[in-house]
Amino acid sequence: MVDQLPNRGLELEMLEEMGFTSIDDLFSDLPEHVRMQEPLPLPPPQSEEEIIADARRLLGANRAMGDVVSFLGAGIYRNYVPASVFQLVTRGEFLTSYTPYQPEVSQGMLQAMWEFQTLISELVGLPIANLSLYDGSTAAAEALTCVVRVHNRKATQKDTVYVSELVPPDRMSVMQNYCQGAGISIKYLKHNLDGTLDLTSVRDAAGSCGVYVEQPNPLGILDGGLTQIKEIIGEHTALIVGVQPVSLGLVEAPGNYGADIVVGEGQPFGSPPTGGGPIYGIFACSKPYLRLMPGRIVGRSIDVDEKEAYCLTLSTREQHIRRHRATSNICTNETLIALMGAMHMSLLGPEGLEHLATRNMSACILAKQKLAEIEGITLPHFTGSHFNEFVVELPKSAANCLNYLDSVGIIGGFDLSRWYPTQGNWLLVSVTDQTKAEEIELLAAHLAVWSAIKEVIA
Amino acid sequence: MSRLFDFAGSAGMGYSQPQPLLPKTSIALPPSLSRQKLPRWPRLSEPEMVRHYTWLSRRNFGIDTGFYPLGSCTMKHNPRVNEVIAQLPGIADIHPHQPEHHLQGLLSIFHEMQHMLAICSGMDAVTLQPVAGAQGEFTAVRCVQEYFRNRGETQRTKVIVPDSAHGTNPASAAMAGYDIVEIPSLANGRIDLDALRAVVDETVALMMITNPNTLGLFETDVPEAAEIVHAAGGQMYYDGANFNAILGRTSPGMMGFDAVHFNLHKTFSQPHGGGGPGSGPIGVKSHLAEFLPSPIVKKRPVLSGEEQFAVDDMWYSWYEPKHTIGKVQQWHGNAGAVIRCWAYYRRYGFGLKDMSEHAVLNANYLRHALHREAAAAGVSHMFVDGADAEVAKHEFTISLQPAKEAVGISAMDVAKGLLDQGYMAPTVYFPLVVPECMMFEPTETESRDTLDQFAKDFVKVLQIDADTLHEAPVTTPVRRVDEVYAARNLCLKHPFDDEQ
Repeated sequence: MVDQLPNRGLELEMLEEMGFTSIDDLFSDLPEHVRMQEPLPLPPPQSEEEIIADARRLLGANRAMGDVVSFLGAGIYRNYVPASVFQLVTRGEFLTSYTPYQPEVSQGMLQAMWEFQTLISELVGLPIANLSLYDGSTAAAEALTCVVRVHNRKATQKDTVYVSELVPPDRMSVMQNYCQGAGISIKYLKHNLDGTLDLTSVRDAAGSCGVYVEQPNPLGILDGGLTQIKEIIGEHTALIVGVQPVSLGLVEAPGNYGADIVVGEGQPFGSPPTGGGPIYGIFACSKPYLRLMPGRIVGRSIDVDEKEAYCLTLSTREQHIRRHRATSNICTNETLIALMGAMHMSLLGPEGLEHLATRNMSACILAKQKLAEIEGITLPHFTGSHFNEFVVELPKSAANCLNYLDSVGIIGGFDLSRWYPTQGNWLLVSVTDQTKAEEIELLAAHLAVWSAIKEVIA
Repeated sequence: MSRLFDFAGSAGMGYSQPQPLLPKTSIALPPSLSRQKLPRWPRLSEPEMVRHYTWLSRRNFGIDTGFYPLGSCTMKHNPRVNEVIAQLPGIADIHPHQPEHHLQGLLSIFHEMQHMLAICSGMDAVTLQPVAGAQGEFTAVRCVQEYFRNRGETQRTKVIVPDSAHGTNPASAAMAGYDIVEIPSLANGRIDLDALRAVVDETVALMMITNPNTLGLFETDVPEAAEIVHAAGGQMYYDGANFNAILGRTSPGMMGFDAVHFNLHKTFSQPHGGGGPGSGPIGVKSHLAEFLPSPIVKKRPVLSGEEQFAVDDMWYSWYEPKHTIGKVQQWHGNAGAVIRCWAYYRRYGFGLKDMSEHAVLNANYLRHALHREAAAAGVSHMFVDGADAEVAKHEFTISLQPAKEAVGISAMDVAKGLLDQGYMAPTVYFPLVVPECMMFEPTETESRDTLDQFAKDFVKVLQIDADTLHEAPVTTPVRRVDEVYAARNLCLKHPFDDEQ
């Protein structure tokens, strides 16, 4: 029997008081031909004990990354979220609230989101941040439509944006879905053989509405050339930079090298990988984009007693007021996950952030050194600076390598032929603050063994 | 007042971390990329951080705090076992790019959810990719768009929405590039078939509508509307925001819809989290199935060698539809939300029908109780039903226009008065077709006692004199917030000393 219905057993009394005799009376307005005649062909209700047992059994069949040695990243990263974050975020006042339409009883979440906006603003070096979009890809996609709204009038390349050709297809697909309705055409920026952006191709983007690049880029490369883009494209073409936010503990904030909009996957702050969702997208911008940006924003205000108070503001951009002329259709967003991010960032503090970024980056350096020593394996971008990940060029296919490593309990990385079909032997190896030196040694040892197996044909 | 940016303790005091694998000196960055100044984040210890966020939480109102009759949002109880399940490593610590044999448990749950949603909605195929209701709308609109492109029907450039529709409907269709044709509702809030006939032609791609409608009434003319739209070659879209009213009683498929989105955070109790996360899967009839975005999970019997990874002797794999629109979120949707909603569904099974019946029972009972208590207190002249109907579905509206005219109190005043009584206010001023509108959705998880007490307290608020009620709320952490001031004096982040 279902156990979540407090009025179970009171149905008849309640119905009689209303002058009805059966539940069917409450559905008498359904036309005969649309009434379901048979019970739902679903299994019987379960008790909490049965549900949790089944959940443990089914989810236990998944290989959690903590149970194996994992070098899989490619946009979602293993991290550590302090215990207090989970304890606090499941407080019912946060967990079971909704959009703060009544600010007088929603000051807690409103203030927390205003603080989140400040944390993000400081992190990326831009004055304005919203309180999250769905994920990094939707944040990037919304940034593209936003820059067209802002710059199209003065653009010489109307309805056009330029995107790094390295952007993974899944992320690109989101961008295309968001852009096609607005009639935006996406053109591509080329990269050099060393993985850095080809700045000569950036010249073509001048006069368009915007340029989207990533730092670190999808191959893990930290590209100093990105600091020159704004000068090349000029003030009427927006520079959008996608970031791994943890990297900004060491890497210059894009707002300080000309970025007009910064987006990114917020996940490493506050959220475990969770199969890729719910996570949250970061969106920050400079002032010219404020009134045409997507998503909710909290402002500090006062109440009738002139006491400090917070409320949603600039709502006239949003769908519930502007309807089909809204800057985005977003309503439900990722507030609670952004709150987890804010809690995590609060605990880190500036120096904790720098330390966390150092742990990520030094693990990457160590891994590069160890893997470069293996015979038959090369690191095509070895001389560059990397954050979280780097490309390993294998003597045989990455798919073959991953199968071998899987058989010894290692998720060896990401097969880059899934992004770039011509790169069948490229493996994207990811390390984070969670990677241990012994794990890197283990990967190197097994890669050496695999690499030496001459007879295996992929 | 606890302010995050007032905390300025010592460096790294929040939580200690292990040492890096190599010293910081080993790190070389391109000179132009070396960060010059760390973000001005606060420095606080765990005890301070815990107290700050606990303080904030106490200034927030959730379903756990009290009755939350926010119409159209389905604020039902969130069972806590769902949170426990969502933190199991088999969901929290998995990566979306792991190979299929690492994720058989997740895929089996996805498959079960696809199956259940298809059954409840009368659709043929379901994707769990969209992460919110509005994104579900956008995804379905995109599928319909590609379907018509595939058929060469590119002249279909219009999407019809009733003027009472949720704002996301026209916003989502416009994002896909459609022209929006808004049709007026009848005075009673219902669909106007004549207005529909007047705009339907071969340029219409889609009609978007919710049923029960935004007034909480079942639209008996929807099957006929579907016939009108289909006769002109258009498609019918069901906004699943109000799905909680109809499970096991009828389905969008039976009403003639081609596509539907589900708000799992409403119907299946993913906690709303102050504004998200949600989950917005969509279901479609077979002719649209090959346009869906993945992830879609298919199953087959297990083959030899796979047993060690398999659950229940089946093998689950990702399936990419032939004409897929691609992705609307980069990963597999909000997998963690889907897991919570799976746990919620398991609690009901075929009893989902009971869930909807109790939601409708409670809404009708609350409507009855409001009138009953108002009559007993002699204030029944202060409000009228938002729509004339014998029965409501899961929610209902009233109009406080009479109160405004008689004593000068508005729906907003009453809403603020209810905050002082310890309740979340119902939705106000939506839908616009009802003047001084207040929309109540109690959900199935409220007891009769709560509904009775709320009705009494609601009537108590109506009896407060206008001058006093204009001052409400007075018991909340802050009093009425000046939204105009916020917009005119934009302060969107902490003003650091050098910026003031």
